[in-house]
Amino acid sequence: MSHLFEFNGAEGKGYSQPSPIMDVSKLKLPGSMKRESLPRWPRVSEPEMVRHYTWLSKRNFGIDTGFYPLGSCTMKHNPRVNEAIAQMPGIANIHPHQPESHLQGLLSIYHEMQEMLAICAGMDAVTLQPVAGAQGEFTAIRCFQEYFRKTGQTQRTKVIVPDSAHGTNPASASMCGFEIIEIPSSADGRLDLDALRAVVGEDTAAMMITNPNTLGIFEADVVEASQIIHDAGGLMYYDGANFNAILGWTNPGLMGFDAVHYNLHKTFSQPHGGGGPGSGPIGVKAHLAEFLPSPIVGKREIESEDEHLYAVDDCWYTWQTPESTIGKVQQWHGNAGAVVRCWAYYRRYGRDLKTMSEHAVLNANYLRHAILTKAEEAGVTHMFAEGAPINVCKHEFTISMSPAKESMGISAMDVAKGLLDMGYMAPTVYFPQIVPECLMIEPTETESKETLDEFATNFIKVLQTDAETLHESPTTTPVRRVDEVYAARNLILRYEMD
Amino acid sequence: MSSIFLEKNYFLFYRVLLFKHIDYDLSISSRVALGVSGDVMVDQLPNLGREKEMLEAMGMKEIADLFSDLPKEVVMDQELPLPAPQSEEEILHDARRLLGGNVPLEQRTSFLGAGLYQNFVPSAIFQLITRGEFLTSYTPYQPEVSQGMLQSMWEFQTLISELVELPIANLSMYDGSTAAAEALTTAVRVLNRKAEQKDTVYVSRLVPPDRMSVIYNYTQGAEIKIEYIEHNQDGSINMDSLEKARGSCGIYVEYPNALGIIDEGMKQVKEIIGDVTAFIIGATPLALGLIEAPGKFGADIVVGEGQAFGSPITGGGPIYGFFAVTKPFLRQMPGRIVGKSIDVDGNEAFCLTLSTREQHIRRQRATSNICSNETLIALMGAMHMALLGPEGLEKLAYRNLAAMQMLKDKLSAVENISIPHGDSFHFNEFVIELPKSASSCIAELDEFGVIAGMDMAAWGLNENWLLVTCTDQTTEVDIEEFVDILSAWANDELEVLQ
Repeated sequence: MSHLFEFNGAEGKGYSQPSPIMDVSKLKLPGSMKRESLPRWPRVSEPEMVRHYTWLSKRNFGIDTGFYPLGSCTMKHNPRVNEAIAQMPGIANIHPHQPESHLQGLLSIYHEMQEMLAICAGMDAVTLQPVAGAQGEFTAIRCFQEYFRKTGQTQRTKVIVPDSAHGTNPASASMCGFEIIEIPSSADGRLDLDALRAVVGEDTAAMMITNPNTLGIFEADVVEASQIIHDAGGLMYYDGANFNAILGWTNPGLMGFDAVHYNLHKTFSQPHGGGGPGSGPIGVKAHLAEFLPSPIVGKREIESEDEHLYAVDDCWYTWQTPESTIGKVQQWHGNAGAVVRCWAYYRRYGRDLKTMSEHAVLNANYLRHAILTKAEEAGVTHMFAEGAPINVCKHEFTISMSPAKESMGISAMDVAKGLLDMGYMAPTVYFPQIVPECLMIEPTETESKETLDEFATNFIKVLQTDAETLHESPTTTPVRRVDEVYAARNLILRYEMD
Repeated sequence: MSSIFLEKNYFLFYRVLLFKHIDYDLSISSRVALGVSGDVMVDQLPNLGREKEMLEAMGMKEIADLFSDLPKEVVMDQELPLPAPQSEEEILHDARRLLGGNVPLEQRTSFLGAGLYQNFVPSAIFQLITRGEFLTSYTPYQPEVSQGMLQSMWEFQTLISELVELPIANLSMYDGSTAAAEALTTAVRVLNRKAEQKDTVYVSRLVPPDRMSVIYNYTQGAEIKIEYIEHNQDGSINMDSLEKARGSCGIYVEYPNALGIIDEGMKQVKEIIGDVTAFIIGATPLALGLIEAPGKFGADIVVGEGQAFGSPITGGGPIYGFFAVTKPFLRQMPGRIVGKSIDVDGNEAFCLTLSTREQHIRRQRATSNICSNETLIALMGAMHMALLGPEGLEKLAYRNLAAMQMLKDKLSAVENISIPHGDSFHFNEFVIELPKSASSCIAELDEFGVIAGMDMAAWGLNENWLLVTCTDQTTEVDIEEFVDILSAWANDELEVLQ
């Protein structure tokens, strides 16, 4: 059986439970509100359920399955000790409204993470509450908004984003009520300062930049861009999606940013779980700290014998409310389970997080070089163009399949599907949109040289495959090319019961 | 009875013994000395020690060559001031010490809920979600190798759809609060044109302040005006107040509400507010095993905190919100949706659909900025719902109701404690009124190993009100112990117990 809803055993089938602690006939429920018919959920035994989900898992590709060069997503190995720690009762079974004394260990970890993230990004204050990168963006832009309201600058209604930005940037700023001004990138995929100068003014609220940008290029003009925005009275926002490339070498504070979000599920290896959970803390410079969501963790001296009993360090951690806080963006304390995993991850590298970033950049450059070299050896250089001609890339790079598309009808998607047949996850396709027929490749630091060499060889093999065969790919996957138009037209969004 | 308290108190003595003899000093600077620097990253970075070989292959000499594109002024001039790297064993040791310093709920007798519930999660779930194919996969952009997660989420959509009796559900939101907030913005987008009260929504006065704060942050960017629906003395919706919401874009009420009350008036709501106004319900999903599904009495959108199905509380995250709608809201809803389709061979296949609502395509005109969500936790929810089955759900709901009923019955006989909404029907939790402040009750019972509940002063309600919660994990012994000690506290007889 392939559908959960086809398991329909005897009535009452499911996992065994103790009886209610009171006679059910004595329980009080409003008769008018009694549910008429139970949901038509499956009736499945544990062995059937375990086999169903194991079967499904085998139809899914994770980092554990194979190389996952999905650009922008930083699909690095997830150290398993982090999972072991996240299942400890001291994190799994705690309630956010327990007294501070019950949560000193968690608060200690939060405090350490706040400090560590501030140090890494050159920021002054950090909140761990946002639960995803996009929510981090939203939170920071809300802080900007309150900053402008407090300082009487409500005429600042426009947020500038480059056309290479992640879609979440304009979406997040727009949700806060800002108007989006998109500026074109220069021909080499970098920030165009003239285009920027042309749009800044008294109505500029902020600019949002990813650096290295979504083409994997470091924006060398970033300091000047910050200057232009700051001169106009605006604020600079750093999208931390590509933070994995620069840790310990540079930081957003040095580049002139006022705020930054971190994708803990990328840089700090919270497993992505097929789409989430994530964790998207933000860091801000001192002038924005008073607006951060509440609460953040502070510390003070231990004040009583009772506190001595519960303290885990030589201080007492407390939840604190920033003076002009925007309030909450998630009802509790963010994704605490993700924060703890990422704490374990950062402890693994400590001050050598720099080495981690160096290896991410080393692997990306090595893979890019291997692909270009092997393409030349095989004489297939005519099939693709570099997304952006550069001497060095950072943690990822882009390749454009435009030449192959024009001459042979081989698209970026065809190459992606061909790579699936080779046993790889495909690179990110068609993003950033400014690179036509784009493949964005990010190997991460946890892949070996052998894996990179082999991928480069197989990538060229895919390019050497004839168009007809490639159009047919993939052929070795659990299903073949899926008809997304059919899905959108028919909108079968749930299992239909008989 | 004193023996129970001794048992519950053993941890206090244990803690004294443990912490008196170990002098920890682990501020970030002192931690530097802990790690064994240098070789501990060998297990995470496959290319450590092979940098030279790889650099030479690219015609480079040193790692610094990879960062030659960074302008001098942004390069950090010192090492990250962080501790030395740690081995897995050292990290585990610290994690045990810190998280062991937290007080997990199962170490105490707990009556704390207030939106997050300590329910049983079957063991198979924890085993299955650590399968790397699920755990370490990204958002299923390549459907051919992501059928496992896609089908699981399509099944999740079906399970939620059946539970609330609405035809469409997405595959998760961050939590119940952002689900509620985005339900309101969805309603405004769909109905503003027809609504007489433009850009206006009405929210139940009993929505807790933390959730309300999230709602405010998410709605103010769209300049949505929030009005309130008042409640009667018994906690039910005030129908005169509800009349005012007629012609607005939508109303948001909770079911059962935040004080645990099942309001029989819910069935009249849709008729009063009319067709043009969206009826949005924040539902406690487990209660729906016993009380009528919102889709049966006119709900247009149903959202909620899914945590009780499949997920430990985890300090408040990662958990997951659910989001279900009727057809008119489909194209304006936030979040990812899986549709059933076919592959090129005509075989059944699943893929993400209706992506044109989303930020990566629609950018600033997207229906939401959500990108990462809570897929893995929703998967845990799906597994739990699957294992329960219809009758298992009903039984689980009865178990939760029975524990609450037993506590309510016993407390109603205690002198100096009253139940303000005692004549109303409750699920999971209810408010008790104490002779002194709830905060003092919580603090004093804590010394006896009892977590008394949630202080309603935190919600701006009566400071003598305490919200007490039972779940399927609450035993008769827990209840007897709690009633005895609470009774002693309320009648100034606590010292007798000591």
